[in-house]
Amino acid sequence: MARRNLTRTKMRSLLASLGIVIGVVAIASLGMFGVALQYSFTQNLGNVGNQLTVYPNSGENVTELTERDIRTIRREASATATVSPVKTRVEPVSYNREDEVRETIYGVENPEELYEAKEGRVSPFRSGALVGSSVAEAHDLHPGSQITVNGTSVRIRAVLEEGDAFSPTNPDNRVIVPATSFSQRGYSEVYVMESTGTQANETAMGIRDSLNNREDRVFVQELGSLVDTIEEQFQIINTVLAGIASISLLVAGISILNVMLMSTVERREEIGVLRAVGYQKRDVLKVMLMEATLLGFLGGIAGVILSIGAGLAINHYAVGDAMAVFRLPNAWYVGAAFSFGVLTSIVSGLYPAWKAASEEPVDALRG
Amino acid sequence: MTVIDAQGLVKRYRTGGQTLYALAGIDFALEAGEFVSIMGPSGSGKTTLLNILGLLDTPTEGTVLLEGQDVTGLGDSKRTALRKRTIGFVFQHFYLLPTLTAVENVEVPLLLDSGPQVKKRARTLLERLGLGERLDHKPDELSGGQKQRVAIARSLINSPKVVLADEPTGNLDSETGRQILDEFRRIADEDDVAIVAVTHDDLVNEYVDRTVHLVDGTIGRERKNGG
Repeated sequence: MARRNLTRTKMRSLLASLGIVIGVVAIASLGMFGVALQYSFTQNLGNVGNQLTVYPNSGENVTELTERDIRTIRREASATATVSPVKTRVEPVSYNREDEVRETIYGVENPEELYEAKEGRVSPFRSGALVGSSVAEAHDLHPGSQITVNGTSVRIRAVLEEGDAFSPTNPDNRVIVPATSFSQRGYSEVYVMESTGTQANETAMGIRDSLNNREDRVFVQELGSLVDTIEEQFQIINTVLAGIASISLLVAGISILNVMLMSTVERREEIGVLRAVGYQKRDVLKVMLMEATLLGFLGGIAGVILSIGAGLAINHYAVGDAMAVFRLPNAWYVGAAFSFGVLTSIVSGLYPAWKAASEEPVDALRG
Repeated sequence: MTVIDAQGLVKRYRTGGQTLYALAGIDFALEAGEFVSIMGPSGSGKTTLLNILGLLDTPTEGTVLLEGQDVTGLGDSKRTALRKRTIGFVFQHFYLLPTLTAVENVEVPLLLDSGPQVKKRARTLLERLGLGERLDHKPDELSGGQKQRVAIARSLINSPKVVLADEPTGNLDSETGRQILDEFRRIADEDDVAIVAVTHDDLVNEYVDRTVHLVDGTIGRERKNGG
């Protein structure tokens, strides 16, 4: 009967459901948008959370890290960790006989620990240079090309695979030469890569304890806590997005309230007849609530279908993988949006239903 | 057998500072199979009396016995249940549900506990009232007389003891009105159902056993029909 009653005022039911549809789509797709954003960001972050970088503290007149510091760091790091000391210096560099520019040159002993080659081979690395992909692209460099570093001609051994955008070890814009070609003894930074973020955190504290016990000799930069903060930020953004979306659901709820209220006014006499022929108050209540629930349910289903569609599009453009929409957090958002939609319509159907049920049949039939 | 026995019915309405007597002491009894009309000018309390007899309303004073049971002080849900069991209603404006077919409209009172036998009974009733070919028509495909027949069938679906009709011929031309009154007469005689019709229409009086005239909430002259 509820179903029939809805088909009577098709247009109005449609509009009310549309409100729910929009609400559900808004919540679900904004939620999915947030998830996609977070996902693509985490992808860029990569293993940043597991990494830490140790710098000399120039404020305390420590300009470089000594071999002893390196040994201390290796001791503090866990057995599975990779510790890569790096030397840097600024030198005039010329690519393809262009004008010389001053660039930071990185000296690395075992580049295979940090990088993989896109073209060419990384190890053995005793001479020549490795360039990051951005550098290679900008100057059209390939393995075998020649560049000039500080007046000396150097052969490119390999172009490196792109790194994680936010990683301190990201090689994309770097020129790397063997550490042995550096005359200076000390190191300007040390990368430590642990297997987990928690381990990285412990190692960072260990390094601080042993190297900074008398004076602050080093900075230890760890991105793990940064990653946590970023994720918290994303949670907040998602909550705000969902909050905005629920406003639309609220509006939808009000429109259902309106539809149901109109229909109780319109069907006053009918409801009076129902009561007269022996329908109890709760029977009327049930019929009316059923109508509201049906509206919410249909709207919710349509909304879910639409938002999965929207999710496919969002993930296609934001993550580059449309199928990424079928991930757990998305399912959660869609489910929450759906149940929220149905709940909204039930709640907003409650008052009109109660109003319809509690009217005296005598009054209703008097017209 | 007395189906309804109402004694000393008073219905007062308080509007502003004034007290309005819709009914001012009415005794009314109804036998099974009796067809009674209640006539009177507007505001004479006809509809109020009908509502009280139909357990839609409660009297301010007086008692109503339905099949010997005192139903005066019953609460809403008990009255509703009694209505469902023993009383059928026919209204001037038919009040059929526009989304349901004729059969479904007849089933409405028992729709929530409907079964195949309800559907069958609804069909039988409609066929008896000459609507056998219009079972699956929606109300807007039916004429006024046909709608009222559907409404009568609906009032009979629960095998009531009493059918209360409020201006049953009010929206019909006299030819159709006669047909409807014929139906009522037949139902009263064949099914032993008591029928009370509130009306302005003198036509009704040709069909009833007796007519009760209400004037200002009291019973005026009562006329028995011979036949």
